[in-house]
Amino acid sequence: MITVRQLTKRYRSTLALDEVSFTVVPGRVTGFLGPNGAGKTTTLRIVMGLQTPTGGRAEIDGRAYRSLGHPLREVGSLLDAAAVHPGRTAENHLRFLAASNDIARRRVVEVLDSTGLADVARRRVGAYSLGMRQRLGIAVALLGDPPVLVFDEPLNGLDPEGIHWFRNLMRTFATEGRTVFVSSHLISEIARTADHLIVLGRGRVLADCAVDALVHGPGSLEQAYLTLTGSAAEFRTSPRGTVAR
Amino acid sequence: MSTAHAMSRGLTAEWIKLRSLRSTYVSMASALAVALVVGVIDTASVAQHWATLSPSERASFDPVGTSFDGLQFGVLAFGILGVLASSSEYGTGLIQASLTAVPRRSVFFAAKAIVVGATSLVLGELFAFGTYFVGQVMLSRSDLDVSLTDPDVLRAVGGAGLFLAAVALVGLGLGALIRHTAGAVAVLVGLLFVAYGLGRALESWSYLPDRLLLANASLVIGQVHVHGDHVRRIPSLGLAYLDLGLYLAVFLGLGAWRTRRDAQ
Repeated sequence: MITVRQLTKRYRSTLALDEVSFTVVPGRVTGFLGPNGAGKTTTLRIVMGLQTPTGGRAEIDGRAYRSLGHPLREVGSLLDAAAVHPGRTAENHLRFLAASNDIARRRVVEVLDSTGLADVARRRVGAYSLGMRQRLGIAVALLGDPPVLVFDEPLNGLDPEGIHWFRNLMRTFATEGRTVFVSSHLISEIARTADHLIVLGRGRVLADCAVDALVHGPGSLEQAYLTLTGSAAEFRTSPRGTVAR
Repeated sequence: MSTAHAMSRGLTAEWIKLRSLRSTYVSMASALAVALVVGVIDTASVAQHWATLSPSERASFDPVGTSFDGLQFGVLAFGILGVLASSSEYGTGLIQASLTAVPRRSVFFAAKAIVVGATSLVLGELFAFGTYFVGQVMLSRSDLDVSLTDPDVLRAVGGAGLFLAAVALVGLGLGALIRHTAGAVAVLVGLLFVAYGLGRALESWSYLPDRLLLANASLVIGQVHVHGDHVRRIPSLGLAYLDLGLYLAVFLGLGAWRTRRDAQ
């Protein structure tokens, strides 16, 4: 379970998150939606202990991420598929991560197999396509066989087959009772996979509801999403003509 | 979760990282190549021309320091090894994966510093002793060679290796502080080489800035005796080691401080 309470993040004059609160529960896929710049990535980076909030807190099963003894065995994450050294092989990338969390070497082979990277495991990551890097990022998330999974825009760069594979993977994780939290800026990517949606706009929670509940009366889910976030777009031209967040 | 256990896992992870990059091998091989080639040329040249050297040139000859003429350039490769160990994490975005695996920043930075420090110390000593022995073989042609049991020789050879490890750690701190490889390497080159000119410029006021420079500290650390007309710029052996300690404290301290800040 992921719990976020009154999370606030301020970068100098910009308020990126404004008292964001929500809970992501196990056993279902929770979509994290919002236009570019809404604060999704900032929220996820705070949840993963990469950034310190200005106020509020984020916890995994009641504990701050930075206090977890074996974090990769409690939370698997894919925040940025480019977060690899291009000169290192996929196998060595996974090996150092496994070593840092007391994860058995055999698990490296398992996740390479399950993500379809076994044949290229000894090639340097710099030669990988975006889709292959995305698969490596998913392999990293699965490495510790964690009960909580966090994915930031995981479908970017995946081919149709990869998208299909990943959607099924998310459904399987939820069925197994894991907590699955997936961000996207495109509702169409996530609507068929997610059970629940949390919609963020300009650093605030705009909606926290079942997917079905987002559609009021006639109109598509897409339309409902646009209506909801329409007033919370990232860039707007101020009267002085400068672009402000 | 004990800190000791978290640290031992962090050390293993950092060791795998360092070993699995080609840049580690390339930078160390180039340091060794420059140290040996320049060292051999310089010692061979002294041995060959000894009979025709003037008394003052003979007085300024240092049998250990001359072997290390090439190692002085190898220093840069050790510094870059340290810079890359931390700056490449930020440059490639790898830092995100590293910190989700080892979220305690103090453990992360300390593990990296220990692995880079220990590796560069072992390699630094190997290179120093290797360069020293090859140099003595060349010098023995004119009976100019010394032995490790002669006064100050072991101290100077061991010190030269230690100096290489210290520069690698200064680089590591710079990489963590600046988070950009090019910027950190530029500052490193400034500290190692450009600062020498700055020290010279301040000499009318004081020789103290000279004596705080890594380049001048390395001369007294890696030689049997200090001589020649630039002796006033050179710190005492004690001050030279104090210089090393100060550089390590300042740059590792700044690196550790920046590592605790948000990883963008």
